[in-house]
Amino acid sequence: MVGKSRGPINGRPSSPKAISRTYVSQLPTSIRSQLPILLPLTLVALAFRLYKIGQPSSVVFDEVHFGGFATKYINRKFFMDVHPPLAKLLIAGTAKMAGFDGSFDFKDIGKEYIVGNDRPVPYVAMRMLPAMLGVALVPLSYLTLRALSLRGTTAIVGSLFILFDNALATQSRLILLDSFLVFFTAATAYCWVEFCNEERKRAFGPQWWAWLLSTGGFLGCVVSTKWVGLFTIATIGVSTIAQLWSHLGDVRMPMSTLWRHFLARVLGLIVVPFIVYLLSFAVHLGVLNHSGDGDGFMSSAFQHTLVGHGMPDTYADVALGSTVTIRHLNTQGGLLHSHSHNYPAGSGQQQITLYPHSDENNEWYILAAPGPDDPPTPTDENGVPLTTGGPHESEKYKRKKVLYLTHGMEVRLVHRMTDKRLHSHESNRPPVTESDFQNEVTGYGFPGFAGDANDNWRVEIERGSPDDAPSSMRVRSLRTVFRLRHTLTGCYLFSHKIPLPEWGFGQQEVTCNKSPTRPNSLWFVESSRHPRISVAGDKSLGVDEDGEEDPVAVRPAKTINYLRPSFLSKFWELQKVMWETNAGLTERHVYDSRPKTWPVLRRGINFWSKDHRQIYLVGNPLVWWGATVAVLVYVGARAILMLREKRGASDFLDSTIVFYDRTASFLFLAYSLHFFPFALMSRQLFIHHYLPSLYFAVLLLALLFDLVTAGLRPRFRLAAASAAVGLVVLVYLEFSPLTYAGPWTVKRCERARWLKTWDFNCRDFPSSLAEYKTFPPAVHTLGQTSPVEAYDAAKAGVGGVTEAAAEAALGMPQPGQHAFEDVPKQAQHSGAGGAAAAGGHKAEPVAAAPPADAAAAAPPAPVAKPGDEENVFSIQPVIMPGDGKVEHHDGGGAAMDQEKVEAMVLEGTAGVAGGHHHQQQQQAAGDPAKPSAPAPAKPANEVPPA
Amino acid sequence: MSGMRSRKAAAAANGNHDAILDPSLTESQKNAALKNGTYAGSSDDVRGFEQAKRRRPAVVLPESTHGVTLANDGAIVALLFLGAAIVRFWKIAHPAQVVFDEVHFGKFASYYLRREYYFDVHPPFAKILNAFAGYLAGFKGNFDFENIGDSYEKAGVPHIKMRSLPAIMGSVQSPLVYLIMRETGHAKLIGLLSASLLLLDNAHIAQDRLILLDAALCLFMTLSLYSYVKFYKQRYNEFSPKWWTWMIATGVNLSLTMSCKMVGLLTFLTVGCAVAVDLWNLLDVKRGLTVRHVMKHFFARALGLIVIPAFVYLFWFWVHFKILIRSGTGDAFMSSEFQQTLQGNPMLAQARDIHYGDTIAIKHKHTNAFLHSHIDRYPLKYEDGRISSQGQQVTGYPFNDTNNLWQVHATVPLPEEGGSGRAVRNNHVVRLLHVNTQSYLLTHDVASPLMSTNEEFTTVPWNDTSRYNDTLFELRVDGLSKTSTSPWKSKSAWFRLIHVPTKVAMWTHNETPLPEWAFKQQEVNGHKDVNDKTTLWFVDELNPDPTASDFEERSKPLPPRKVTKMSFWRKFVELQMQMLQQNAGLTQSHPYASSPINWPFLLQGISFWTENTEQQQIYLMGNLVSWWVSVLFVSVFVGVMGADTLAQRRGIEPIARNVRKRLGSTVGFFVSAWAFHYLPFFSMNRQLFLHHYLPAHICACLAAGGVLQFIVVEEVAGPLSAPGPLLASNTSTPSHPQDETPRSPSGVRLSLPTTRSDVHLPRGAIFAIAVLMMLTAAMFWFLSPFTYGTPGLTNQQWLKMRLLSSWSLHFLPSMQELAQGKS
Repeated sequence: MVGKSRGPINGRPSSPKAISRTYVSQLPTSIRSQLPILLPLTLVALAFRLYKIGQPSSVVFDEVHFGGFATKYINRKFFMDVHPPLAKLLIAGTAKMAGFDGSFDFKDIGKEYIVGNDRPVPYVAMRMLPAMLGVALVPLSYLTLRALSLRGTTAIVGSLFILFDNALATQSRLILLDSFLVFFTAATAYCWVEFCNEERKRAFGPQWWAWLLSTGGFLGCVVSTKWVGLFTIATIGVSTIAQLWSHLGDVRMPMSTLWRHFLARVLGLIVVPFIVYLLSFAVHLGVLNHSGDGDGFMSSAFQHTLVGHGMPDTYADVALGSTVTIRHLNTQGGLLHSHSHNYPAGSGQQQITLYPHSDENNEWYILAAPGPDDPPTPTDENGVPLTTGGPHESEKYKRKKVLYLTHGMEVRLVHRMTDKRLHSHESNRPPVTESDFQNEVTGYGFPGFAGDANDNWRVEIERGSPDDAPSSMRVRSLRTVFRLRHTLTGCYLFSHKIPLPEWGFGQQEVTCNKSPTRPNSLWFVESSRHPRISVAGDKSLGVDEDGEEDPVAVRPAKTINYLRPSFLSKFWELQKVMWETNAGLTERHVYDSRPKTWPVLRRGINFWSKDHRQIYLVGNPLVWWGATVAVLVYVGARAILMLREKRGASDFLDSTIVFYDRTASFLFLAYSLHFFPFALMSRQLFIHHYLPSLYFAVLLLALLFDLVTAGLRPRFRLAAASAAVGLVVLVYLEFSPLTYAGPWTVKRCERARWLKTWDFNCRDFPSSLAEYKTFPPAVHTLGQTSPVEAYDAAKAGVGGVTEAAAEAALGMPQPGQHAFEDVPKQAQHSGAGGAAAAGGHKAEPVAAAPPADAAAAAPPAPVAKPGDEENVFSIQPVIMPGDGKVEHHDGGGAAMDQEKVEAMVLEGTAGVAGGHHHQQQQQAAGDPAKPSAPAPAKPANEVPPA
Repeated sequence: MSGMRSRKAAAAANGNHDAILDPSLTESQKNAALKNGTYAGSSDDVRGFEQAKRRRPAVVLPESTHGVTLANDGAIVALLFLGAAIVRFWKIAHPAQVVFDEVHFGKFASYYLRREYYFDVHPPFAKILNAFAGYLAGFKGNFDFENIGDSYEKAGVPHIKMRSLPAIMGSVQSPLVYLIMRETGHAKLIGLLSASLLLLDNAHIAQDRLILLDAALCLFMTLSLYSYVKFYKQRYNEFSPKWWTWMIATGVNLSLTMSCKMVGLLTFLTVGCAVAVDLWNLLDVKRGLTVRHVMKHFFARALGLIVIPAFVYLFWFWVHFKILIRSGTGDAFMSSEFQQTLQGNPMLAQARDIHYGDTIAIKHKHTNAFLHSHIDRYPLKYEDGRISSQGQQVTGYPFNDTNNLWQVHATVPLPEEGGSGRAVRNNHVVRLLHVNTQSYLLTHDVASPLMSTNEEFTTVPWNDTSRYNDTLFELRVDGLSKTSTSPWKSKSAWFRLIHVPTKVAMWTHNETPLPEWAFKQQEVNGHKDVNDKTTLWFVDELNPDPTASDFEERSKPLPPRKVTKMSFWRKFVELQMQMLQQNAGLTQSHPYASSPINWPFLLQGISFWTENTEQQQIYLMGNLVSWWVSVLFVSVFVGVMGADTLAQRRGIEPIARNVRKRLGSTVGFFVSAWAFHYLPFFSMNRQLFLHHYLPAHICACLAAGGVLQFIVVEEVAGPLSAPGPLLASNTSTPSHPQDETPRSPSGVRLSLPTTRSDVHLPRGAIFAIAVLMMLTAAMFWFLSPFTYGTPGLTNQQWLKMRLLSSWSLHFLPSMQELAQGKS
């Protein structure tokens, strides 16, 4: 057929009934002329996509997160998420307009939107937004295919394939981001195709500019929805380069026009998207101005900008004798900390950690290290240092002249609460990181002990802040970044994101590193006070003990606080944190899948399962496999064409082949750039990441249909189209109970399991549809009986029919029919505090002391690793900073809700008032709450039954 | 027909020039048209014609003057080898201590000499070479190279001889670089420059004079490039003996490169791409070759560059397995079947058949915990509100205990008498009775305590028949086929226990221990992914059934057993998979690991060895002049070619065609080799070190010379490829890449290839090269204390050596001394 039968293929104009076809060189498809087809198409889409959209009336899958984010936006509490904010803002905006007050927490999959609340959550309105975008995708795909100069029949077939894909339908009916993503991607592609058409007609005309700028605008939207939007940018980018390259080869075009082309695209495709992206973050940061659970990810300066997370001003000057807290710059691990617990191994001396919350145990005296002129430490005949009496070393600075802390000064850091010195030695490796180049850091000393040379640290100023001139010369609070070098061993005080085990309460490890990465060895003073430095200046301290004048003590001292970061620096910091968090999502997930399994639709995702209904994300196999076949056909055909070309065939002179080749190449480019980069990613991936590529593959499938039916008479072509669409619809309906959470039977479910690897749970469905009368309804409304009761009643009613019920009858506990449907793991960590959590944000402010009481209410739970927070069901990870949740820095009087306190206790990092140490508190708090556990000591000692 | 026309117009508007030019007009037709005066010719043809007029007249080509001759270049090659050997052998005995990765590669040499099995992520060839050097030197392998700084002299290790082999291999590289430059038509001085950029490079020297793998890797990589160049130059003599020889040499060298380290794959890619492009050009119809002929080319290359190399690669593994026949440190990485092929392996010594009625203790392979149960039950309700079956707990417990004992029960009638009829076999369905509580192991569709996705394991009293089906487990021995009925053995057989009704595998993990109610023991649960690698268990302890008739016999200690056999192919596949997995797993941080972006600029080195009393340090650091110059020239090339491509698109040709062609086929090849040996590292997640850049640096040295010649001389040397039948028969074909002879618009040769001509460097260029070489030598001299680890320097002197502040040297003055120095 290729090359020879050109006449018949292109003979459409000769057949009068053929749907008129616009060619590249003719008028672009205008939307108005397509209205007679668009309207019915949209109506069908509306019907299928909005059918029973309120079903189910409980939280499904990642609605946990994206609904939850809406709550946070409405409460204006700062959170961290790996995706840019645009789609989430749109969801939150819709919720707000629908009257949502932010009082629902979307905590677990399956949680009813209605129960126990007078005002229902406007979840239907919230779902409506992605659903409408899903509906819009159908006419959009039609227009795109028309704009690509394909036949009307083809465009209808293509758009119906999009409509009747179960995966696209499932995703668009829920509060999820992918519907936004696919829509914006498709809109970008459409605008770009129209732009290219316009380019051939009239460059730099108003339409040309309109299409260019709207391409850019949608590009901005894609990338502001998810970072995978970068693939769309790559697609448009490659297309643009190809276009410019061909202009460049047009020697008749003057260079000035070429530059105009180039600059116009820079404006439209780089500047505009960037502005959109920036704007979305501006709104995001503008809305989230309260402290929330994302604080812990951000730098202290960033946190300081959030309402409820401020810090009082502190003295700017740091001098010998100051009492300081020292913060680690690079990680959010917190402040240099010690407490009266010892390392279980190594030297067995006192622990040094990083601790994120304000606490008296973070306070250190900075004292001068004894110089060569100072008297040596008295020792006994064995060289063991003798204890010395007298007042504490820090006392003497009350009368000494104030000496600022400068570069190169050798100091000792004495822990105020335990009177131990910050100490390091060659002889022991750190507790967790046991490398040769790392030394242990401990708190060492005893009352009266004068310390030894291993307590000496040298201050090395790294940089000051440009706005504070003295900060580069000497250490100033919050402005000077410095390193602490251990004098004897030359290692640097260092910390990294490695938590200590249970005995260290999960706090961050501090070591002394001989070859540290620079950022992880940087510190700054967060707060500072000195007996001779005060705001007013103390005239009574004008003279030191030697009778010399002390100008520092007399002068009023300056107080200082974090510099307020500009929007751009906050924006940039957020980008970095998002990137790191995203890269860190490497853990396996029950439903994750690798890209190579997507085109064959190997496995879906269990979204929701309740009351014998399920939502399972699985595509319409006909559409998916057809799309894959279309891609393979393209690759094969293209390879053959290239080989033939090389061997002298003149296929590329055939305008039909050139036309199909160019159109298909564009679609294939879009497909591959949206698909293949995933293969390089090592993070968790899911089948819904394939949807943008699927969209392009379906368009390619439509193109294949166009090519195959090219030789047919219109009437037969229509018949072929109807047959194809009919089959697709049948298959769509076959799987529709999984899409709409509808009723189903075991038998039909098993019949629908075309591949063994599709793991929806058929055993959960009843054997006949009639049984649904006895189950709780799919949509709960106000004033109904509690679903739990209804469910129990139902079980009793069907007794003996289902396996679950049979077990119940046997007195077996309800085992949760299928392992996957159980309560997500997240609940394990936040369970018992439910009552307290319900009133979470509204809780009365609790003074700093009550944490202990709150802790008493908390269950004794295993110390949670950060990763454990992740919800087994939902994909979007609950992001918890490694250092736990954050409390206010100004220890007393600030609000602290119970939920946070619990979380902190669970993480073993509860803030402790008055210098109690953590474990005592935890034990004391935990004991009364402990259930009377069976006493047997060690299983090894068990006596075997006779 | 309007449709067709409009599409054609569209294609034209798209700038598709090829489509406009009718390729059906073949060269001969053009030729005819030209004679008739009807062919206008393309602009290219005209330009070629005009260029031709400017060039020298035709001279008949004498056949013998191609390539490099002994008389011409022999002395230089010898000098280069000598020079390289001198700087590599100088003080090679120092330090007489273990340095850096000699810890590993020295140790592996010991293992070869002791014939003990070890495991490593690299293929064996280079390590076998090291061991061979040790063997020749009389080393018995009685030293373990435990720590950096261990003394060789005390242990009597012949370290000088062992280090000599890499040093010799390193010394060969510089002459090879020179030869490659000469073979690709570069001037002698240019070749000398490229060679000395490598010869005097401190990083290569430091790496070459230690017992490491990189000297061998770089040598075979350079040899691969050299033989490929030689092969390509025979392209007019296709299928001649020389052609075959050099092609197979290329394949073998490539394979040896890959047998040194997996990164040899990058060399494969380099040459593979060049070959693919070459084949694609051969396919071109204008070349006039039949498809059959092109296929012949294709299969010849497939044989020489894929099949033969594969055999060479396999051969070294075969040698590897032949040498290592004793049990050693690498056993634990391999499957039980593999381990039984090693002499003295404990699995081999203690494996016994398991019979029904025997009492066994089962251990989890991954966490080394025993399958354990005790009378305590699961709490009715977990903290999250989920409920359990309240059955007896089944846990994983790491210590020996009577509660770890289980008795194997049959599910089908057994023969009365003892013997093999009672043996448990692969695929049997069994029940396990917990001896102390007389209850059967069971799992069911209840979520486990910690993982809602996995099934709970519990037990049920032996007399409770209602749960019979849930106590059935199928035994699947790892590595056996589904139909195999081999007996189940203790120690040696890893197996999975698959629950018959629900198809989950018994599994345990040590991520989170169970809470207090289970004494913080490990959770045991049913894993849905049956074939997960961590679902393997083995029988650690076997007590034969005392009631069976053959009890006496089976309780006797086992006689020593012969090693079992395993086919080479299966051994190879297993080891190869394990190597890839372990390699990908090398992700933990290392203080001297660096990211690839630092490498060409030498922002960080690696501290190989330090000595405190004399303050000596060996610090892997390249010659700054050599590295910076080479990477600068590479970027110049990329810039020039980019600008040239853009200009051509606008119809301007800033570079003469023959020069551009030559530049593309020589320097372009070197630069692509550099890119192939460097850029892929950016996508690797594993630990990366500066020395991974060494092969790329050799390519950069080659490229540097080529670019320099391009800058200073506008001429190219006379034809490089040996003339052959193909050249004579196809004089009318225009597209031999390196055939610079200009031709008339008709494609008829205007002048036959000229005599071999060398490019002549202008005086300025000679001066520039001399300066560059002197700078390189000076930098080498300056950095030599890093390279040789001698002499020791004072802190202040070390500080002066630290040219970039990011170098982490060991001996530096303290802050105090610095402050004093300033004041």
